[in-house]
Amino acid sequence: MKKTFFIYTGIFVCIASSAFTQQINDTIKLSVIEVKDNLIKKTPYVSCDVGKLQIQSTDTRDIGDLLRSIPNVSGIRKGGVAIDPVIRGFKFSQLSVILDNGINIEGGCPNRMDPVTAHVEAEDIEKIEVIKGPFVLGYSPVFGGIINLVTSKPHPYEKFELHASALYGFETNWNGQEEHISIYGGNKKVFFNLSGGYRNYGNYESGNLEGHDTTFNSSFKKYNYTAELGFIPKKNHTIFISYNEIHGFDVMYPCLGMDEKSDDSRIISLDYNIKNISNTIKTLDVKIYRSDGNHVMDNSKRPGYSTKQMISDVDAVTTGFMSKLVMQFKKHKLIAGADYVNIYKDGTRTMTMQMMGTTSVKNTNLWYDGLVQNAGIFAEYSTILSSYEINASVRGDLNKATSGDTLKIIKNGIDYFNDVNSQYMNFSASLGVTKKINEWFDVSLAVGRGTRSPNMTERYIKLLTVGYDNYDYLGNPQLKPETNNEIDLTFKFAKDNIGGIYLNGFYSHVQDYITANKLPLSIITPQTQGVLGVKQFVNTKYVTFMGCEFGYTSPNKYKFGGSVVAAYTYAFISAVTKYIVTGTQVTDNTIIKNDALPEIPPLEGTINVYYKFLKGNLIPKITFRAVADQRHVSDAFYEPYTPGFGLLNFSVKYKLNKYANITAGINNIFDRAYYEHLNRKIIGTTGKLYEPGRIFFVNLYVDI
Amino acid sequence: MKNHNLILFTFLCFILIFISCKKKSEETPPAETGHITFKFTHVVDGQPLQKDSMMYVNTAGNHYEVNQLMYFISDVTLHKSDGTTKLIEDWKDINYVDIDIPSTLTWSVYDDIPAGTYDSITFVFGITAEKNKSFMFVNYPEVNMMWPDMLGGGYHYMILNGKWRDTINNIDNFNFHLGIGQLYKSNATNCVDSIYAFVQNYFNVKLPNSSFTLEKNTTREIEIIMNINSWFATPHIYDHNSWGGNIMQNQPAIQMAKENGFDVFTTGTIQ
Repeated sequence: MKKTFFIYTGIFVCIASSAFTQQINDTIKLSVIEVKDNLIKKTPYVSCDVGKLQIQSTDTRDIGDLLRSIPNVSGIRKGGVAIDPVIRGFKFSQLSVILDNGINIEGGCPNRMDPVTAHVEAEDIEKIEVIKGPFVLGYSPVFGGIINLVTSKPHPYEKFELHASALYGFETNWNGQEEHISIYGGNKKVFFNLSGGYRNYGNYESGNLEGHDTTFNSSFKKYNYTAELGFIPKKNHTIFISYNEIHGFDVMYPCLGMDEKSDDSRIISLDYNIKNISNTIKTLDVKIYRSDGNHVMDNSKRPGYSTKQMISDVDAVTTGFMSKLVMQFKKHKLIAGADYVNIYKDGTRTMTMQMMGTTSVKNTNLWYDGLVQNAGIFAEYSTILSSYEINASVRGDLNKATSGDTLKIIKNGIDYFNDVNSQYMNFSASLGVTKKINEWFDVSLAVGRGTRSPNMTERYIKLLTVGYDNYDYLGNPQLKPETNNEIDLTFKFAKDNIGGIYLNGFYSHVQDYITANKLPLSIITPQTQGVLGVKQFVNTKYVTFMGCEFGYTSPNKYKFGGSVVAAYTYAFISAVTKYIVTGTQVTDNTIIKNDALPEIPPLEGTINVYYKFLKGNLIPKITFRAVADQRHVSDAFYEPYTPGFGLLNFSVKYKLNKYANITAGINNIFDRAYYEHLNRKIIGTTGKLYEPGRIFFVNLYVDI
Repeated sequence: MKNHNLILFTFLCFILIFISCKKKSEETPPAETGHITFKFTHVVDGQPLQKDSMMYVNTAGNHYEVNQLMYFISDVTLHKSDGTTKLIEDWKDINYVDIDIPSTLTWSVYDDIPAGTYDSITFVFGITAEKNKSFMFVNYPEVNMMWPDMLGGGYHYMILNGKWRDTINNIDNFNFHLGIGQLYKSNATNCVDSIYAFVQNYFNVKLPNSSFTLEKNTTREIEIIMNINSWFATPHIYDHNSWGGNIMQNQPAIQMAKENGFDVFTTGTIQ
């Protein structure tokens, strides 16, 4: 029935829109986020940008936290920092999180203490681009969406110039402070940037609940530095090299079994760009890169440390390249390219137990020479036919994986963990049409199929709590790729004196969805204290995601303005096994049909209101965010419901002069005790990790 | 209009490609099965065990009390008269029992047990060598059963801790621990450096009078009774005064306990 509905929807949109032939261009801007959609020339899907100015005007201690301000983008919080982004319920490797238009980074931590967003500091970001759905295939294999973190880059100057910028930020509650300094400049031929930053945050307190606050073990320290050098050997040719190091230490994760003792990552990249090669070939971009990370975590600050010590040490190396050729044939634009990524991980866990006066030590591999290689070719085509803009993309990926693992788990003829080699050929494609109905209004329909191969964790991880629930997880080397078949319908309206409005609906049918099943204790027992058992990653038949998003922003030309955004996602799995637990024993199971998927964000909306004083140099802003209860929760995962909440924030931005501006504000003004539905449980308890209570913050930014 | 038809056609093609055909699944009729629950009871010569009370006397004449009792049974197997067996392993094959944790005194077996008549029940007391590996359990309470690596590793089969009155009326502790034994080169039995071999001391138990009939969609509760005094009698009389309080590094004592274990378990009520 649903399939029939989409056929009719496709026919309806195509036929109905054929009556109109006009074209418009516009940009929809929201005050917190900036939603750019060029309705005819650009995308038939939803794409949002967060710019540098927005980043500087908030208490941004973490990019994952910042991303949560975008409609239908949420995050999984396990500690004070490194919130893992979720778009429309898609998470982890279902999202392609890339750096600078093509760099893939793999964190070393199997628990995702260091997602890609943790490898870049917010102060270095020029723009964050979020593209929802499997429609843009030119970056990497795309399944549920793309987060492209574009860092600030130096550029050439007519004559030699030297500049400096600095940021100082402070937040109460955490007593957190951040400092960042950058020196940049250059001339026509050579340009550069040297920058570095440090941030030190303590534990935060939740809001006030029944007369008292709760302090969470959430402190962290990080520092980073970057060196970038650009060179123009001749006209239209640019060579750019970048080196970045980021280090985190003593990062607490109360929702995980261990804390981050240290995380050291280095990213080096080389870009070569040629412009205007011929009348047809407009640009050629080639990028090669390598990221190298070492991640150490332990339980030295946990209660059980005296009798059981655990330490994990993981190395992750990602090497890759990307090339992209942009061609223009009259009104036909074609982008063709290829990319390759080689991901290597190796890590051990050492457990030491003191019992009965003796000490036992056990070393196990978390990953053992794990290797995942992905080679892809892609093409993107766009053109304008009458009042339509057509966008089409195709992509093919050859994905290979292997590991040095010698672990074999075979029981009753079933291979649970045996052959570690796998190879898949994946095909992805998308097609989008945007039809201009009249000068202000247009409608877009996009269909896309994005396939991604299982990641290193899903294939090879051995007994760590990497999932939503309190279980050790075991990889499955023979997992199949999962495929997202998605359709988006978007209506957009934009008029100078009214503002911009968009309304989007999406439907995803995910085949071979990767989830996890419990394994009997007779097959394997857990290795992490306090967990309930072991789960193994498996493919299930299909799951469904659907939802809608709405956004309105007032015209920028008025002093008084604001925005409204709202989003909702509903997701369910066709059939799933629920294990019946009596006391501490698993005693039976039952099949649940159309059960909710776990970790799906609830309905929420945000209203921003601002007023521009002093010719726009002083802008106070009030933000109200309302989040509904999440009662559509997974029965099979014993997921608890989450109560809704409302938050009020206030900030004011003042431009002191052309060199300096200051932003100050209060978040969670009423010191509300609340937690997001996607926040994880405190390990060993049933209680969720609360969000911070009231925070006063101030950011001072100077650029000379 | 030509363009519009092209777009319509292309969209339809895409949508049709993405719609996958449903395969018909062949559903097999559900097997006729039931469930069983084991209930663990601990007695001393027919009387329910009372902890921490110096009220018991074993065959050797030792007056003793029991303070702690925990043990593993594994590989529980149900035997039919036609020779077929059902090994209980679908969820777990090793079960922990602890008299201080009431929830461990009942084991609601996860496995679907084929309906029918079963002649007997057997199990392994302790854990077989193949399965008894260190770090297999990291969580309370099973983790407390760890057997030191230097003494063979893995986990205790049983911890039976108590006190007995010795020959001069002193109250001494006994740690009647069963697990992997050691063979020593020298007579100094506590010198772990002289260990040259390990001995697996788990043993098979056949529960007497354990036949039962299981009807489909029903649950049978089977009581397994441990008579603690049987550890100290038949075929060997075990005397705490002779063996002392600690036997983890005393393979002859463990061997005697192991040989005495054949009749420790009996079948209680089956309902």
